[in-house]
Amino acid sequence: MPDDIPVLAADGISVNFGGLNALDQVSMSVPGGQIVGLIGPNGAGKTTMFNVLTGLQTTTTGRVSFKGSDISGWPTHRRGRAGIARTFQRLALFTRLSVQDNLVASWESSHAGGVFGRGRQQRQEKVRAVLELLDLEALAPRLAGELSTGQGRMVELGRALCTDPSVLLLDEPGSGLDVVETAAFSQVLRTVVALPERPGILLVEHDMALVMDVCSAITVLDFGSVIANGTPREIRADSLVRAAYLGDASVA
Amino acid sequence: MSAYWPFIVIGLFTGSIYGLAAMGVVLTYKTVGVFNFAYGAVAMFCAYTYWELHDNWHLTAWVAMPILFLVVAPLMGIILEALYRPLAGLSAEVLIVVSLGILAALVSIVPLIYGTQDRQLQPIFPTRTFVLGSHLHVGYDQMGTLVISLSMAALLWALLRRTKFGTATRAVVDNPDLSDMIGVHGDNVRRAAWILSSIFAALVGILISPSQGLDVNELVLVVIYCFAPAVLGRLVSLPLAYIGGLALGIAGSVLSKFSNSGTVANIEAALPYLALFALLVILGPRLKEVGTATRRLGVAAVTVTRRPTRDSTRTWDVVTHHGHHGHRRQHRHHRRRFDRNLGVGLLGFALALLVPLAVPGPRLLIIIGGVIYALIALTLIVLTGWAGQISLAQFSFVGVGAFTAGHLAGAHGQHFVFAVLIGMLLSAPLAVIVGLASLRLSGLYLALATLAFALIMDNIVFNRSDVSGGVTGITVARPDVFGISFTGRAALYELVVVIFGLTAVAAYALRAGPMGRRLHILRDSPLAASTLGVNLTVTKLVVFTGCAMVAALGGSLYGAWSQAITPLDFMWSVSLELLLLVVLGGRSVISGAVIAGAVTAVQALPIPNEVEKIIPLTIALGVIGLAQEPEGTARMTVRQTLHVLTVLRPLPKRRSGSPTPVPTPVPVPMAVVERAG
Repeated sequence: MPDDIPVLAADGISVNFGGLNALDQVSMSVPGGQIVGLIGPNGAGKTTMFNVLTGLQTTTTGRVSFKGSDISGWPTHRRGRAGIARTFQRLALFTRLSVQDNLVASWESSHAGGVFGRGRQQRQEKVRAVLELLDLEALAPRLAGELSTGQGRMVELGRALCTDPSVLLLDEPGSGLDVVETAAFSQVLRTVVALPERPGILLVEHDMALVMDVCSAITVLDFGSVIANGTPREIRADSLVRAAYLGDASVA
Repeated sequence: MSAYWPFIVIGLFTGSIYGLAAMGVVLTYKTVGVFNFAYGAVAMFCAYTYWELHDNWHLTAWVAMPILFLVVAPLMGIILEALYRPLAGLSAEVLIVVSLGILAALVSIVPLIYGTQDRQLQPIFPTRTFVLGSHLHVGYDQMGTLVISLSMAALLWALLRRTKFGTATRAVVDNPDLSDMIGVHGDNVRRAAWILSSIFAALVGILISPSQGLDVNELVLVVIYCFAPAVLGRLVSLPLAYIGGLALGIAGSVLSKFSNSGTVANIEAALPYLALFALLVILGPRLKEVGTATRRLGVAAVTVTRRPTRDSTRTWDVVTHHGHHGHRRQHRHHRRRFDRNLGVGLLGFALALLVPLAVPGPRLLIIIGGVIYALIALTLIVLTGWAGQISLAQFSFVGVGAFTAGHLAGAHGQHFVFAVLIGMLLSAPLAVIVGLASLRLSGLYLALATLAFALIMDNIVFNRSDVSGGVTGITVARPDVFGISFTGRAALYELVVVIFGLTAVAAYALRAGPMGRRLHILRDSPLAASTLGVNLTVTKLVVFTGCAMVAALGGSLYGAWSQAITPLDFMWSVSLELLLLVVLGGRSVISGAVIAGAVTAVQALPIPNEVEKIIPLTIALGVIGLAQEPEGTARMTVRQTLHVLTVLRPLPKRRSGSPTPVPTPVPVPMAVVERAG
């Protein structure tokens, strides 16, 4: 695939919740091998955007394209199979399965024939690789339901990685992580985009330090509209963003 | 047009009662989040109580009615509220099971308290008629019923719309914790809703039984009519529910003008269920479950509440969906137990093959029935215990298999295998239709769709004489498979045991593999599963259809075993009993099916009358007590039994201001988190 076609692109997305414009003509794109930030105050429409991209939310207007082809009408599971993976702001782990089985189930769900036990060898390799990448080996036999939030977020990331994604949508993966964990986490994100498949990452995050640190481009949403688009440096300097995000221009 | 007026009057009269009932059902659903399957049973219980007070104790209506409406019905509401209070926030599946358990308990307790003699409840209004217009005769009782119903409906509507109580109910269902904080007493509001709902039920009971007859089963069924109007109001709108009730009454009554017999009569009888089914299909995408927002999600895993250490060996809390599951150690223990299970199962299977040597004659026949029942129960375990979907129509599929075998197996069962296959193939599209009706719907709506389906099958398909031979039924030959005759009891026994064994092993293998994981993730987080690539629709349909097909196989065997089958064998209430027995046995373990089969076999044995009388009530109470335990009685140890019996302990003092003590959150060890350092 040529580099100039983004893995995932949204074009003119509008979502209307009974009179309220949750999203208004939002366009953005995620290139392969890069981390794009999606930021904005609470209620700006970030999670709605994720739901649109994964097919959980129908749109009033706009189209979503994946590797250049229009996928607007695709149901959620088809997008998942195609390579769009996501995590959830409120953890949605399979709580009664072990961490290992969470990943295994993910692989089986996203690969053809997985539910009939096909591709056992690849599955085991993949799961082992992901556990190692995220440093989850010690947690593998634990039930997902008994993990801390931070651990749970890592398992969700691992679960998403097991689908061999072309693009990862991460919904506030950094919330609930402490400083040390966050540092480790940003390293993990860099490792992920550097994988041979060069997956892109769309990151919704409130931890500005993390966002500014890892993202190559940032889109800022406010009240459902894009108010800024640019590199972290540009975004930091944008007065509109400051006003919307930080309340006023008083912050240096 | 004038020819229709008498029917419309009758329709308005019955419809106004359906409307009241529908409002009662909607009331508890929208305030407590509990869909009360037992509503008809409550109405029935109240009608019987009124008969007892009025006709047996000879109290005047002026005394009997206040007792009914101010003492009995409110008491009923208080009991119901107390039963549901500890279940707040649990899955729809548990709530449905409990309400079905209450239904069964009331149905079985009434004959114990009030006896079984025939009785007739007199209308509370004079039955004389007056003439409206030129020649329309209207009964005072009909008029009175309509007036009472309309005023009660208006009263309830005003109560919820125009008073503080109404606002409080909305607050409570939207966010119980928050409403507690702003000073709305959730428990009080919920109790008030239950009491109101029960008073409505009592009213429904005494209004409808004079015309429908005071019969335990009939009354329960009549109130199921009101489920359709309740769904029309999307289970939240009282006015729509009431109007739906009126419409249903009128439609049924007008239809009865044309139906002397035959298909139209069947359709008339099934009208409320057809309406329910159609409404579920039409409104499907717009229906949602109340209270799901407040339900504890997987997020609760953040703080794993674990019971005191002595309890950590309990493995049966899992149904609560939020990781009550103890520790890694326990998880391994779980794994190991799986293998031991297989060993125990195979040993049991080997021993079961030897049973004919020890058990002669008629007893063996009863055991065969138990094994077939266990096979049917197994389908419900996969469906309910593993996939989390409740079916109240499993015996309808059994019926499809049985009647097909009756028609196709031939005089000597020479085409039995062929008949079995056709039966399974016939049940598949039916299952797909039911499954599609509840596609986007979870728990409650699938239960309602299957209930409607079972009742439609009862009224439109199974009662056709060309299908079932009518009340006399049809005969089914014992199988003769590839030249081997299974006419003899021992041979038939070996056949059904082998089929059960194979099915159980297949289910067990599925459970341990990718298929089992798929079912797991479907219950834990369907949303996450779908983003990973699981087609929820297809998965649910496959499971539902597969279970229906195996149930049809069980049906063929059931027919061959019983040799004479009638529509009564496959009624919705039989499916209900199956569900109750499976819950009792343990809906998440294969041994639960064996227990369900054993219980039916024991019931078929000659047992003393006194014991037999209390069995249904015991089962029902067991179900209510065990609704939260997916492994039912199958894995209970003595200590766990004692734990279950603690429900008999008096309730702790109600919280007044200070929150009830919750289990202390056990901090998750941080050792692993520190890896980053």
